[in-house]
Amino acid sequence: MIEVKNITKSYGKTQAVRGISFSIKDGECYGLLGPNGAGKSTTINMLSMLFPPDSGDIAIGGIPIGKTNTEIKNMLGIVPQEIALYEKFSAWENILFWGSIYGVTGKALHDKAESLLKWVGLYDRRKDAITEYSGGMKRRINIACALLHSPKVLLLDEPTVGVDPQSRNLIFELIQQLNKDGMTIIYTTHYMEEAEKLCNRIGIIDTGLIIAQGTLDELKTQSQVNDMIIVDCTNTPDEKLLAEKLKTTVVVNENRVSILSNDSKKDLTHIVTVCTDAGYEINRIDIQKGNLEGVFLKMTGKQLRD
Amino acid sequence: MFKILQKELKSFFKDRRAVMLGILMPIILITVFSMAFGGVGNKGGDNKISILVSDEDKSATTKMVIDGLDSVKALQIFTTSTDSALTLVKGGKYPAALIFHKGFSDSVKDIKHLPWELKYDAAQSIEMGMMQQYLMQNLFSTVGKMMTEKMVLRNTRKQFAGMDSMSMLMATLQMKKSLKTNSADMDDLQKNIMKLESTPIEKTKDNQGLIQAMGGTAVMMLLFSLTAMGGRLLEEKESGTLKRLLCSPLTSRDILGGKMLSSMIFATCQLLIMLSYSSLAFGLIILPKIVPAFLLIVATAFACSAFGMFLASIIKSREQLQGTSTLCILIMSAIGGSMVPSFLMPTWMQQVGHFSINYWSIQGFYDIFWRQLPMSDPIFLGRVAVLTAMGLVFSITSFSLFRRNVASMA
Repeated sequence: MIEVKNITKSYGKTQAVRGISFSIKDGECYGLLGPNGAGKSTTINMLSMLFPPDSGDIAIGGIPIGKTNTEIKNMLGIVPQEIALYEKFSAWENILFWGSIYGVTGKALHDKAESLLKWVGLYDRRKDAITEYSGGMKRRINIACALLHSPKVLLLDEPTVGVDPQSRNLIFELIQQLNKDGMTIIYTTHYMEEAEKLCNRIGIIDTGLIIAQGTLDELKTQSQVNDMIIVDCTNTPDEKLLAEKLKTTVVVNENRVSILSNDSKKDLTHIVTVCTDAGYEINRIDIQKGNLEGVFLKMTGKQLRD
Repeated sequence: MFKILQKELKSFFKDRRAVMLGILMPIILITVFSMAFGGVGNKGGDNKISILVSDEDKSATTKMVIDGLDSVKALQIFTTSTDSALTLVKGGKYPAALIFHKGFSDSVKDIKHLPWELKYDAAQSIEMGMMQQYLMQNLFSTVGKMMTEKMVLRNTRKQFAGMDSMSMLMATLQMKKSLKTNSADMDDLQKNIMKLESTPIEKTKDNQGLIQAMGGTAVMMLLFSLTAMGGRLLEEKESGTLKRLLCSPLTSRDILGGKMLSSMIFATCQLLIMLSYSSLAFGLIILPKIVPAFLLIVATAFACSAFGMFLASIIKSREQLQGTSTLCILIMSAIGGSMVPSFLMPTWMQQVGHFSINYWSIQGFYDIFWRQLPMSDPIFLGRVAVLTAMGLVFSITSFSLFRRNVASMA
């Protein structure tokens, strides 16, 4: 459904995307996971045809992005990172407007608007102005506005930013439902648990490059990551010192130390000894089984939240 | 494009406070300015006042009088034919034309009523008042002197016929002295024989101050309102809705065109409301002039809305827009005659004023309501054409800059 070949994009002297390639099959949910500034939104913006790549090719539904893009635009549903709604308008008015610009009109538009508002659970509040909605409710309307014209591909750019856990779960359910119904989805996030939960395949992006991609299991295999040991200290440990003594990847974030381990049971005693000898008082230790955060740490040498 | 237009109008009218302000503010300002301009009448500084002179007599006397006028520092004399002078004054290019009809020289010799007249632009009557002071002062010292001498000579010859030449000279000097002190004779000379008829080229009952206030304030307020509407483009950029619009099948032209059309409709409504208010509250007669007024309003609305979009296209944030637009609008309003009538400004400033939307629109309102020009008059149509051309230039520039400056940042 989507073919991206070696695309690049620069803003002045800053190279935001440095040659990204990936392909997404029909009905797949593909996650672009990376920290802020990694190039996720720039990639999504190029896929949305907001601006063209400096070099490289993009094809959606077999049609290369070029000068005549209306057909491709009609295939895409865009959920921007911002709550791109008219605040003075009600949910109903917003939905009708965004549907109408995609050429959906009359009864078809009204029926679709009604069903979408019911689907996102906001039909009863359809007449309220957007300003009266909570952050989570706005996010749900933001998604609904992208679906009026029944797109084949849905591009979601960090759709859960600033949302409470309950609303986030609701949004996950909506996305999972769409994917189950056969919609192709590209989902950008910097929350690894979102990518783990929603995406069939994940591309890890950092500094404008996809450093690894595949299913979660494939990524774990590629990075040879088993466990991650999280040590909370009362003071801030020295990252270099711990890395030298433990001979593995260590990242210190304030009082928290993240340590990659291939055998956590075996390494735990050694880690405690090293920390105690170095004068760090340990408050708490967590052992996380192989996950995306560990993969990211292994591949980039930094934590996803950096 | 119509979806965007519909959305823009709906969005604007949802904000009732903004609508009220958009209508009430100019109305309040028109009221205040029309009162203020009603009392305008002083002119300071050493600006030269231009005056056209038509010499149909082409005599040594008229040449001497014209040379005398040319030597007055406050006046700048341009000689031309009567027809050309009347056309130029009618079009508001010059405030007045002094016409010396045939037989002027003979009338001076015969001490008869002088065939001269002063035709002035009704829209510049304030400037005329000031100009007449300089004009009459000079004319009395040249023409008056000539006529006084002729009068003395004639009276002496009549009263002392048959005297020898020495006695005649003494009598003449005595007569001159007595005439200077005889205010009754001088009054007769000034009030009757030398009387210069001053008539406006077109008479109107409408109040000049009101037209100045209506035209000036309306355009200035319009520029502020439309720049604010242009700012909504930047607001859309900041909120992310512009990005969403750009990702939709709509083109940049649809988006900008829809926004500009909604601004134009709003501007036209605002100007029509202001015009109606001027009619209802101050008695401005609009009905016989409604068609040219509407034409001018549409041209003004087009130029102003295009200007608003132009600013929004070159500026990167709403904060920048606020500062830049205030500066641009105040400068345009000042040089264009929205704040102070153009004729009170130095000549070079009046020339600079031609680069503002305000100038052409205000002059258009003068053409319709004061100079009483018909809609087919080339002078009026010229002003409408300039406003339309300004609108086109701003629109084309906005369209080409939009994608580069605004859309790329969305």
